[in-house]
Amino acid sequence: MKRFVIIGAGAAGITAAKTLRDFCPEDIITVISTDEKVHSRCMLHKYLGHERDAEGINFVPPDFFEKNDITHLCCEEVQRIDTEKKTVYYGEDYFAPYDRLLIATGSAFFIPPIPHFREAPNVFGFRDLSDALKIDAAFAAGRRVFIVGSGLVGLDAASALCRRGAEVTIAEMAPRVMPLQTDEFAAGVYQKAFEEHGCRFLLATGASDAVVDEKGNIIEVILSSGERVACDFVIMAAGVRPRTQIALESGIAAERAIAVDDHLRTSVPDIYAAGDCTGLSGVWPDAMAQGKAAAENMAGIDTVYEKPYPFKNTCNFFGITMLSVGRLDDTEGAKILIHKTEKEYKKAILKEGKLTGFLSLGDISNSGLYLHLIKNGIDIREKQDKLFRLSFADFYGINEKNGEYVYTV
Amino acid sequence: MKRIFIDPKKCDGCKNCSLACMESHRKDGQTGIYTLQLQDPENQSRNRILSDGKGGYLPIFCRHCDIPDCAGACMSGALQKNMENGLVEYNADSCAACYMCVMSCRYGVPAISPDRRRMIKCDFCTHLPEGPACVRACPKKAIEVREV
Repeated sequence: MKRFVIIGAGAAGITAAKTLRDFCPEDIITVISTDEKVHSRCMLHKYLGHERDAEGINFVPPDFFEKNDITHLCCEEVQRIDTEKKTVYYGEDYFAPYDRLLIATGSAFFIPPIPHFREAPNVFGFRDLSDALKIDAAFAAGRRVFIVGSGLVGLDAASALCRRGAEVTIAEMAPRVMPLQTDEFAAGVYQKAFEEHGCRFLLATGASDAVVDEKGNIIEVILSSGERVACDFVIMAAGVRPRTQIALESGIAAERAIAVDDHLRTSVPDIYAAGDCTGLSGVWPDAMAQGKAAAENMAGIDTVYEKPYPFKNTCNFFGITMLSVGRLDDTEGAKILIHKTEKEYKKAILKEGKLTGFLSLGDISNSGLYLHLIKNGIDIREKQDKLFRLSFADFYGINEKNGEYVYTV
Repeated sequence: MKRIFIDPKKCDGCKNCSLACMESHRKDGQTGIYTLQLQDPENQSRNRILSDGKGGYLPIFCRHCDIPDCAGACMSGALQKNMENGLVEYNADSCAACYMCVMSCRYGVPAISPDRRRMIKCDFCTHLPEGPACVRACPKKAIEVREV
């Protein structure tokens, strides 16, 4: 009987636990997490916006651990991994021996070195349910919120708090909102929608200093433009960093992220890593795929994990939906096609007959095709004239054996 | 596990399958395709028949894939592959309408609802004891349920 230990209960950790159980019905599986409850980080805004309770943002059934006979050690911090003794130490000197270990510690929000920001007790991230709980408590005391960063996380927090009547100010270093996912037009659409819901944006500027009260709480943010914004608390949404500390302290090779090979093995035998902590991608589907691949390898099923294509995302704010794939800013030597109607906005970036970027705002149905074309570098030179009307019919093929579809190019 | 097999050569593009799909999922309490609101996006067909540009037709139906990218992308747990019946099942109550499923299906099957609160995809007509309405409506037997 093998003992599998998984550190982390996010997309990668939970998917790995389930996959291990599917392949190893007899073995012992233990998940150790700092989180008390399993929750989807991508749904935190539903919690913060009081649309759902903690159970409502759980992405597995309530009886997941029981039903799959998995031990969940929650609210536990892993202290160290003894790679010689193959043992994980957590909490106050508890330990869990393993035959194979998965590190799926995710990533943590990053606070840039702005005076007072790292020390102030009223600066919060928006990554975990525990962050959302802190914000909830802070919000009960004051409704003026300053958000650093207008990426998906920043806007998630903003949309939730706007819903509850907060006075939200968002500072963004780039000249437009969601700079990684948008172009000027799409950014303008979202900016307007957020402004209509009570948000104020300060673009092309960042926080450079702060005024604190006697307890060290930030009461005023000073921007690089010199402007000052009074606030009750601050949410940091200026990027994340892979959580590598445990790995580093245990002699597992890691720099910015935990190093893994194409089987998601770390530098230490029998220790695997998956999800954000590998730095391979920061989106949910890739974390799930890594959790699955790592678990298969841990279970002894040889699975090669192909590098993901991480530049992809969707969002849905106030019913305005967008899909964004590739590098929309990388337009040097590129051909740019735009399709615009009253309800839709689509943009394609083409280089040497291949799509390198695609943006769709409005009805994004059928757009998974474009991710496939970009990810696989499929030449669409001959189909350029109907680029925005492509469908799987243009690449149609059927696997006669199992009836599934295949791409024909 | 069952799957709707497609023989595009037999399809003559009548779209009876699409009408049957809409009829099977309509929520207005009426019956009979003559009263269907054909342009109601709330009740859009979950299958599509597209032209191949050469006089033929290409049916696009959810494959309930063995390894479904849509469920593999779902961050709410709303989409799940049911290993017993093979279906990729959807629970609208859990769905967060993030549309990662739309992004991840390379065949363009999942659609977004007009209110942007859920996704729309084939459910294999599990509410009908006789199975998928589209298959029964096809006069050419271009689609048929087979065991896989």
